[in-house]
Amino acid sequence: MNAMRDMHIPALQIEGLKKSFGKAEIINGIDLSIGKSERHAIIGPNGAGKSTLFNLITGRFPATSGKISLHGRDLAGMAPYQINRLGLSRSFQITNIFPKMTVFENLRCALLWSKGYRYSFWHLVSKASDLTEGAEAILEQINLTSRRDLPAGVLSYAEQRALEIGITIGGGADVIMLDEPTAGMSNTETDYIVELIRKVTEGKTLIVVEHDMGVVFGLADRISVLVYGTIIATGRPEEVRGNPKVQEAYLGAALEAEH
Amino acid sequence: MTDQQITTDPAKPAQRMRAGGTTVTLMPWILAGLVLLVLPFIFQSNSALTIMNKMSITIIFALAYNMLLGQGGMLSFGHAVYMGVGGFACVHIMNASEFFSMLPLPLLPIFGGLFGMGLAMIVGSFSTRKAGTVFAMISLGVGELIAACSLIFVAFFGGEEGVSGDRTYALPLFGIEFLRQIEVYYLVAFWLMLSAILMFLFSRTPIGRMANAVRDNPERAEFLGYSARWVRFYSFTASGFFAGIAGAMFAINYEILTEENLNLVTSGTILLVTFLGGVGFFFGPIIGAVVFTLVQTVLSLQTDLWAIYAGALFVATVMFFPGGLAGLIMMHGPAAKLGKLHYLVLPYLKTLIPAGIGILGVCALVEMTFHVRHASIGSNEMTLFWTTFDSHSLMPWAVAVAVSVVAFWIMRRNLPELVAAWHQANGVAKDKL
Repeated sequence: MNAMRDMHIPALQIEGLKKSFGKAEIINGIDLSIGKSERHAIIGPNGAGKSTLFNLITGRFPATSGKISLHGRDLAGMAPYQINRLGLSRSFQITNIFPKMTVFENLRCALLWSKGYRYSFWHLVSKASDLTEGAEAILEQINLTSRRDLPAGVLSYAEQRALEIGITIGGGADVIMLDEPTAGMSNTETDYIVELIRKVTEGKTLIVVEHDMGVVFGLADRISVLVYGTIIATGRPEEVRGNPKVQEAYLGAALEAEH
Repeated sequence: MTDQQITTDPAKPAQRMRAGGTTVTLMPWILAGLVLLVLPFIFQSNSALTIMNKMSITIIFALAYNMLLGQGGMLSFGHAVYMGVGGFACVHIMNASEFFSMLPLPLLPIFGGLFGMGLAMIVGSFSTRKAGTVFAMISLGVGELIAACSLIFVAFFGGEEGVSGDRTYALPLFGIEFLRQIEVYYLVAFWLMLSAILMFLFSRTPIGRMANAVRDNPERAEFLGYSARWVRFYSFTASGFFAGIAGAMFAINYEILTEENLNLVTSGTILLVTFLGGVGFFFGPIIGAVVFTLVQTVLSLQTDLWAIYAGALFVATVMFFPGGLAGLIMMHGPAAKLGKLHYLVLPYLKTLIPAGIGILGVCALVEMTFHVRHASIGSNEMTLFWTTFDSHSLMPWAVAVAVSVVAFWIMRRNLPELVAAWHQANGVAKDKL
């Protein structure tokens, strides 16, 4: 495993990825390489295929053609849970938690597989101190300790988003994918979540889909711009910002609106 | 088994709250065990023992069923087959006299469990791919299929007359041959306690917790490393095991199994029992099984129409208390914590007594209609609520209608008071007192 995670093998490698739904080609040929511990943002206008790309990488949909590898390992034909076990974890654009369970239990469920409990019926979760301590450590990180025993469904929207991030990082995956983590949030909430993301993904590979430009430029090491299923530019934030193609296709409108 | 870190220190909310949720407390189990020990001394008659055995068997089955319905979110319409096959297997073991004479009877349920589990593994391998409608339809189909097989594979299912055995051929344990009903009672009670404890502990294991997670959000569970299908499969297998144990209990208690143990009526009844008790709490099916068995046995002695009342009770539960009887009890938790339950006592009496009388009035009308339609010609006299009267005269009808109308009117008049008291007990309204 360690050999596979060698420095020069990218955390995530995408080659010639295509996806069609019927006749509609949503992703038409993406090549992308994301290095270990890189914070990579994927931006693009609505309908560019950002979420589809996420779903292809995480095994939610099968690709029409092309290859995706995680730490050099081909993910073709794998189910989401198999990909997750290889160390890739994701959040969702629409909050996706276990609403009837307590906040603590949500996090404990996120820890179960990675702590090696698998399908065990001979352990009691309340006796497993590694689970309790692990879940409480994450509770602390996402500042929800005071909400520990509330059903997750009654939390505020921002708190649920924070919990979702907690669940995503809970399993100890080293590649974290966040789908619009700040969607629908106020400025203060956004600042808070961005800071939280920065903190909890320290040292991990982060791939984030975002709409909010402020978030992207502050958080990402590199940015890819996705337009109509193709990546038209990849580079450091200032390079992407200066790229005329990008300005034309996407940023121009956004930047104009800002000034 | 209690969690030592529980504290009432208000400065440590995290530890203090840990009393709830998934910790394991011993007290209710000791109480339940004591009740099971003492019950035969209170109800000594043979018919009481029969009812209690029936209750215990239904409880095991209902708890096993709720591993699917409540904990795993799988609605099965054919769960009787796992209990039935476990039971049939046990009767055949009883008839394999050479083997059976070396087997102490209290160990027989293990075989019942294994057979139930084996069938569940076969069926579960394809039925647990999806939850929801697909699972429900497969369970219905498989249930019907196996029930139909009972008339075809006569060697195993015994055709219409079923298969019977004799439990007393087992190896006597400490000289006990299980000839007497009371000995069977304690055997069933022992397995009831053991199965209930194991099923409770199962819900607290990693796979048990993930069964809940998959029930609520299968997709999220998949992105946490768990295959929703395998989680369902393991729950299903475990449920089949305990259903098989219930079947073994049935075989030991009745010494005969028939097609009735496999068919859709039995499958439907266990769904009804479980739902009536409440699927959301572990102890729900226990209450459901106790209440249903009482309704079935005690009420059926009083009236031929008991099934109508049981059906009405079920419909009322689904419509007004989807949490079942357990949900109804647990609704009072917040008020009890605030120490305000006493606010509710008087309003409850003022609404529930008239409601009860009103319901009895309606029941009287139902019974009288039944009597008028079905009693033999010329026998106009009927006895209801210790009163004998002529069911063809107007008077009893007028009385029943008047009693029902007045009782429901009083209930309705007192209802706002109950609602207000409810809010007050739960600290919703401002405390004026």
